[in-house]
Amino acid sequence: MTGNNVVLAVALLVWGLLFYYLLRLEGRIRKLEK
Amino acid sequence: MILRGILLLWIAAGIILAFTWAPLVPVLQETTRVLYFHIPSAWVTVLALGWSMVASVLYLYRRRLEYDDHAGTAAELGLLFCIGATVSGSLWAKAMWGSYWNWDPRETSIFFLLLVYVAYLALRGAIDEPRRRARLAAIYSVAAFVAVPFLMFVVPRLYDTLHPDPIINPRGKVDMDNRIRMVFTGMLLGFTGLFYWMLNLRVRVLRIERRREDQGRPMEVAGA
Repeated sequence: MTGNNVVLAVALLVWGLLFYYLLRLEGRIRKLEK
Repeated sequence: MILRGILLLWIAAGIILAFTWAPLVPVLQETTRVLYFHIPSAWVTVLALGWSMVASVLYLYRRRLEYDDHAGTAAELGLLFCIGATVSGSLWAKAMWGSYWNWDPRETSIFFLLLVYVAYLALRGAIDEPRRRARLAAIYSVAAFVAVPFLMFVVPRLYDTLHPDPIINPRGKVDMDNRIRMVFTGMLLGFTGLFYWMLNLRVRVLRIERRREDQGRPMEVAGA
C-alpha cells in the first residue's frame, strides 16, 4: 500500500466519522425539537 | 435525508477523485492534493465570516436574537475552517519550503485574522446578558469583517510571497487543468454544503437552548 493510498484512506475515514457524528447530532436535535 | 446522502457521496467522491483521477501540477507534485482541501477551507472561511457580518447587520436592524445566533455560529465555523486552511497550508509549507511556519505574508495575515475572530469569540464569552452580548458582538463583527478582504486578498498581494499564485491570476483568468478544475469546483461546493449543514445544526441547538431557558429547563447537547 503506497503512502498515497494511506492518506486517501485516512481522509475518507475522517470524513466518514465527521458525517456520522453530525448525523447522530441531528437525530438528537430532532428529538429535542419535538 | 436525501441531501445528507448526496453530501456524503459528493465529498467522498471528491476525495477519491482528488487522489486517483486528477493530475498533479508539475511544480507541486504530490502536494497538489492539498489544493482540494486548503482552498475550499479558505473559501468557507470568507463565506462564514461574511455571513456573520450580514447576520450582525440584520441583528442591529431588527434586534432578533436568531440573527445573533447565526452571527456567532458563522464566526465559530469561520474560525474552525480558517484553522483547517492554516493547518493544511502549514503541512504544504513543510513539504515545499521545509518548514511548517515561515511568517510569509499569507501566513502572517491569516494569523492576524485568527486573532481578530478569537477576540470576537472572547467578547461573546465575556458577556452574559444576551441582548447586550448580541449588540456589542454585532458591532465588533461588522468592524472585524473590514479586515477580512484586506488580510486575505490585499496584504498577500502587496508583498513578495512564496505562496503559489492565487487561483484567479492577475490577468483575471483561471489557469487550471480541466480535471483539476472539476474536482476543485466539486470540493468547493461540498465544503459549502458542509458549512450550511453545520451552521443549521448549531443554530437549531441554540434555539432549543433559549426555549428551554425561557421555560426554566436548561439543557445540554453533547458536543454541540
